[in-house]
Amino acid sequence: MDQLLEVLRDMKPGTLIDENSQLIEGGILDSLDVMNLSVELNDEFDIEITPLDILPENFATPTTIYNMIKKLQEED
Amino acid sequence: MSYTSFLYLFGFLGGMLLCYFITPKRFRWVILLLGSYLFYIAASKNWVVIFILVTTLSIYLGALWIEKINDIFKKLKGTLSRQEKKELKEKLIFQKKIVVVILLIINLGLLVVLKYYNFFAGGLNSALFNHLSMSLPVLKFVLPMGISFYTLQAIGYFIDVYRGKYKAEKHLGKIALFLIYFPTIVQGPITRYDQIGKQLYEGHAFNYLNFTHGSQLILWGLFKKIVIADRANMFVNHIFQDYAQYSGIVVMTGILFYTIQLYTEFSGAVDICRGSSQMFGIELPKNFNQPFLSKDINEFWQRWHITLGLWLKEYVFFSVSLSKPFKKFNTFVKKFGNDYLSKLLPATTALFFVWICNGLWHGASIKYVGYGMYYYVIMLCGMYFEPIFKKIISVLRINIESKWFKTFQVIRTIVLVNIGMLIFRADSLQSAFQMLKSCFVPSQLPLNMIPTLGIDIHDFVIIIIGAAVVYGIGLIKEKGISIRESISSMKLPLRWTIYIAAILVVVIFGAYGKGYDAVSFIYATF
Repeated sequence: MDQLLEVLRDMKPGTLIDENSQLIEGGILDSLDVMNLSVELNDEFDIEITPLDILPENFATPTTIYNMIKKLQEED
Repeated sequence: MSYTSFLYLFGFLGGMLLCYFITPKRFRWVILLLGSYLFYIAASKNWVVIFILVTTLSIYLGALWIEKINDIFKKLKGTLSRQEKKELKEKLIFQKKIVVVILLIINLGLLVVLKYYNFFAGGLNSALFNHLSMSLPVLKFVLPMGISFYTLQAIGYFIDVYRGKYKAEKHLGKIALFLIYFPTIVQGPITRYDQIGKQLYEGHAFNYLNFTHGSQLILWGLFKKIVIADRANMFVNHIFQDYAQYSGIVVMTGILFYTIQLYTEFSGAVDICRGSSQMFGIELPKNFNQPFLSKDINEFWQRWHITLGLWLKEYVFFSVSLSKPFKKFNTFVKKFGNDYLSKLLPATTALFFVWICNGLWHGASIKYVGYGMYYYVIMLCGMYFEPIFKKIISVLRINIESKWFKTFQVIRTIVLVNIGMLIFRADSLQSAFQMLKSCFVPSQLPLNMIPTLGIDIHDFVIIIIGAAVVYGIGLIKEKGISIRESISSMKLPLRWTIYIAAILVVVIFGAYGKGYDAVSFIYATF
């Protein structure tokens, strides 16, 4: 989770982000940010996020992103 | 057969509704299929139907083939080791990619040859062949009605099956209906199979509320198209054809009226289509959501031509930025480039393809490429300069939640969109630039000058009032109030007074008959 929070904070400097921050509803991430983040996560966690994973519920909070990463790592 | 014609509204649509509801429920989709082919043939040349048949058959068979490959993996994956599973997956993905490439060559190939051949041939001639004293000939192709719309739907369908989003449809007739459904075939909205497939095939019972809501939407669409757009068209044509004669406020009014024309015409047409479909109980997706209340260009494109934007996001933006070659490229840039910029690189690259596709989808000319690139540059500026904008807002202590700041943002978006519309409507990029430049030359638009600009003073006032009504209704909708539901809940005498008044407004103020030209839908030519 710490690694993920670091990625998010690097992407949005100056924005306070914790495990339960509302990323989409809170306006921290827009659709372009989600795309940039997905590519970054693929690289950082060696996973393969597909277009079917790009859903608002998967990117709602750092916790939901973390759960998605775990799921993709297990599937691989 | 135009959506605004008596033949369509009272002949075709009325006849279809009658046939649909008297047919047993399980065969109702067949009525829609037969009616849609009849509509297509009546609205275009008979033999042109062959192109949509080729698309239908190819994606039907291709999707089944992909489905078969997906099934092999599902069947075997439980019996294999991790390594074997990985190898099999890679092998099957390769096979699926071959099928996708074949389908893209057939379907995109047809679109590219028929719509873009002359554009690319011209480019190749001037860049290469003319230097070798050769040239590719200019060919005149017939562009099948709705090809830009049904091709996108077809591609979306088989890519979804490829990605495993849903299973391939086993019935050829059902795929045929999905592609040719008459309310969407001419100018969208661009639908997705998982969005309307089931709705199309289940037989809907007659529903009075759907019927009245559909009728209201059609009437609202007719108001926007016939009362506002067709009237503004005359003024716009006059200014754009003779733009060198005018400057300042006259040109600005011409540009603003074109924006009004395009919005009221395209959204009006989609309202007629969505209203027609709703009468059968089939809900089509929204294509517009008060775009002129957007605070920035990114938001504008989430509210304007929504179904095209979603298609490009789903099948171009995602495909490019999550592709393996792009992943390698991104890793390379991260290694050697600036860390902050490399984080923005995925969207920067993918957006380029999105906006090139968006521009070229609208037409085969450099002007449309310029139109796409205009929005691409604005979006990049927004993305790259975000930290600077935030800093300025903080230094100037601007309250971004204040009403005046939001109003400023909306006006800024409207100005930027109007420049985009100028590029879209002008004959060339050069004339768009000339017109934009001439906006800064002071001039006046006295009332007695209006009759010399293609319309009389009454037309001018009707356009202004009509646009204000459309904008006002948009503001009400933005507050979450459903006008159609509000009307439905009124008492019968008041409700019918509104219906009759609305019909009379369209009949009395509609721009048709002597002195007015029937105007084809702009998006029907894309």
